[in-house]
Amino acid sequence: MPEKNQGTNATAPAPQASPRGFWRTLVVFLALIGPGIITSNVDNDAGGITTYSLAGSEYGLTLLWTLIPITLALIIIQEMCARMGVVSGKGLSDLIRERFGARVTFYLMIALFLTNLGNTISEFAGVAASLEIFGVSKYISVPLSAFFVWWLVVKASYKSVEKAFLAACVFYVSYIISGFLAKPDWAEIQEALLTPTVSFAPGFLTMTVGLVGTTIAPWMQFYLQSSVVDKGLKAEDYHFARMDVIFGSIIVNIVAFFIILLCAVTIFQAGVKIASAKDAALALAPLAGKYCTWLFAFGLLNASLFAASILPLSTAYTICEAFGWEASVNRKFSEAPQFYGLYSLMIFLGMAVILFPDVPLISIMFYSQVINGVVLPVVLIFMLILVNDRRIMKGYTNSRIMNLFSLLTILVLIFLSAAMVITSFF
Amino acid sequence: MAPNPNPQVFLFLSQILGKKILDANGRKCGRVLDLIVSVAELYPLVTGVLYRSRRGETPHRLSWDRVREVRDALRIEALQEGDSPEGALREGEVLLKDSLLDKQIVDTDGAKILRVNDLHLLRVNSSLRLVHVDVGLRGLMRRVGLERATEKFFQWFFDYQLRDNLIPWRVVQPLSAPDLLRLKISQNRLAQLHPADLADIIEELDINKRTEVFQALDVETAAEALEETDPKIQVHLIENLHPAKASDIIEEMSPSEAADLLGDLPKEKAEGILKEMEQEIAEDVKGLLVHPEEEAGGLMTTSFPVFPPGTTVKEALNFLRREAENLDVIYYLYVADEGGHLLGVTSLRDLLMANPEAVLGDLMEPRIVSVGVEEEKEEIAALFAKYAFKAIPVVDEQRRLKGVITFRNLLEVVAPQLGK
Repeated sequence: MPEKNQGTNATAPAPQASPRGFWRTLVVFLALIGPGIITSNVDNDAGGITTYSLAGSEYGLTLLWTLIPITLALIIIQEMCARMGVVSGKGLSDLIRERFGARVTFYLMIALFLTNLGNTISEFAGVAASLEIFGVSKYISVPLSAFFVWWLVVKASYKSVEKAFLAACVFYVSYIISGFLAKPDWAEIQEALLTPTVSFAPGFLTMTVGLVGTTIAPWMQFYLQSSVVDKGLKAEDYHFARMDVIFGSIIVNIVAFFIILLCAVTIFQAGVKIASAKDAALALAPLAGKYCTWLFAFGLLNASLFAASILPLSTAYTICEAFGWEASVNRKFSEAPQFYGLYSLMIFLGMAVILFPDVPLISIMFYSQVINGVVLPVVLIFMLILVNDRRIMKGYTNSRIMNLFSLLTILVLIFLSAAMVITSFF
Repeated sequence: MAPNPNPQVFLFLSQILGKKILDANGRKCGRVLDLIVSVAELYPLVTGVLYRSRRGETPHRLSWDRVREVRDALRIEALQEGDSPEGALREGEVLLKDSLLDKQIVDTDGAKILRVNDLHLLRVNSSLRLVHVDVGLRGLMRRVGLERATEKFFQWFFDYQLRDNLIPWRVVQPLSAPDLLRLKISQNRLAQLHPADLADIIEELDINKRTEVFQALDVETAAEALEETDPKIQVHLIENLHPAKASDIIEEMSPSEAADLLGDLPKEKAEGILKEMEQEIAEDVKGLLVHPEEEAGGLMTTSFPVFPPGTTVKEALNFLRREAENLDVIYYLYVADEGGHLLGVTSLRDLLMANPEAVLGDLMEPRIVSVGVEEEKEEIAALFAKYAFKAIPVVDEQRRLKGVITFRNLLEVVAPQLGK
């Protein structure tokens, strides 16, 4: 019985009273964390920070409560991915290819490539914007950062890359610090967080959809599952992966919380209108001090660089896995040409689009969001089918309650994605 | 033109799947879901068709003998009731689409893991056989339904004619189904790979498949591959084995490799395996286990030729002929007295050139470069670099011969520091 299986898995490995058991658990946990936390933090990328700043500065604290259901949805979806990764030992695109065949996979991969390319472009836009605050021209910052990102993965080993990524996660603290710098009224914030405000004004809805869409993206499921697989966890150690995912999902929303809060208590209260994360950073200087601006800009730079390295990597990896091409950062260029080709192409295009004068950035972002909105439900439905396939998941299929929750989450997300796609056209 | 009496036609599985099945009167009986092959033969023979007449219905089996024609549809003789006893597979049979299409295989010729895009079948008279596996872009695009378009695009854009990338079935080792790995009839083709290539492939596989593949190997191949595998993965593979099987494999490994591996295992597991091993080998390995892995004692092997000084060249050569297979070192022959004190060394080359009646004590080189049991790997590496030896003996404080470090043992600990 799958239900029973999961129950025992959740409770059995609880550390015993003996200190040795506790230390062992801690050591194993520290060795295995990473995938969930990295994935979640990449999630707070340039697009995410922009959306959070806009949400805070346009709607004040009223959208703060949505972070709680978003966190729950994120946990539910990522938990399934982590579980699939641990139990099947395969990446998501591998499972999709084996279960749904070549044709579906082919079109899905094209869509994924396009939406991830759109995201990568916005990361480089984030790099350009954040460094412009420090007075660096984008014609210097963008090529340099593109080269850095490319070099990091092509020339370094994955172990060091992952360490660099985990270190980058720490820099998200800059947003928390800047949140405190703004000296918010905590009682008011607590109230806003716990009282759901719903409005059916189109702008409000669009913003909600944007918040959800930027937090739960298709690429994450692929990236998370692959990196869980790379860790080589055994099914018995699955609870560590789950802790990692839950921990990561909470952290990502804490960062989001502080960004919204910061913009709400400063920009929103001052009534300033902003259109981007860069505007938000600049608007903070007179309201909360120049250090706040710098911290905000630094956070944006860190997030953009971080996501700009992960997104192309994850995309190349996912596509190669689906088509059976050699894919590993530990291979040489000539041994994995498709992998490095795709990776380099994405970085190059991402950079080139930003450097190209008069590029229609807004409409590129727009179409990338639309594809995102179309791909996400497809991926989620595939996931739900796969996670209930006994041939793949053995005793670890979804329990009935888990199915109910995930189905509910997926339906809401499909509804929101559809709303996003439809509203973006009108 | 008269029809060819023995028509040979190549077909792709993707072209057969989903085809209509028509009976002699042209009535539709269903659509092809999958093909059943018997993998016992070098080129698996298609024995049946799995089909379904209506959506949602359980699939039925149809014997291939009854297929008369494969064109735009499969034409069969009238359907009999006997054709449909569920889709049960017989011994040695697999479903082509279910267990091969879109799945991973190993190309044992190129030593690579690839994904199956399509399967290439050859029709001779009325029988149909699996002959090639299609792993190319063209096969992929055929499945997507854009074969023609891609072909034209490549011709126009790169002036390149897109070809099929086919791998002959005889060099293909399927990985998907455990049955395909364990089939006794068709021997496991992974054994044909060089152990180092096989180790690479095992490392690349996912955690479940790795175990399946490893357990399907015969003891000797498994031991050879294991020696070349990353230590972390070694531990994982052995941990999942029954101690009896694990000990069989470890016995086949060189003592120094075996000791390194057992040293990495959890204590109880290692002891369980040692108990199952042959006494003599177990003693050797235990002796090596007490030394830290990065010191001379941990690097050395205990399986090398050593003789008393009175041994003749002929005797020594005879010994080598008998034991060469089990020795880690054969190029150097060590000479030691009854107390095990190292007296000198001679080489296989000297032996071959010497008079068969000469004794090793006269032939040997008494000035020996050796290292202590606790010597660090950096020092040992410096000695190898300076003297260009193939092996260096390890002695204790009383100059008693304890073991020999081969260049290969050293390389394994030094290589990770050489950079990418």
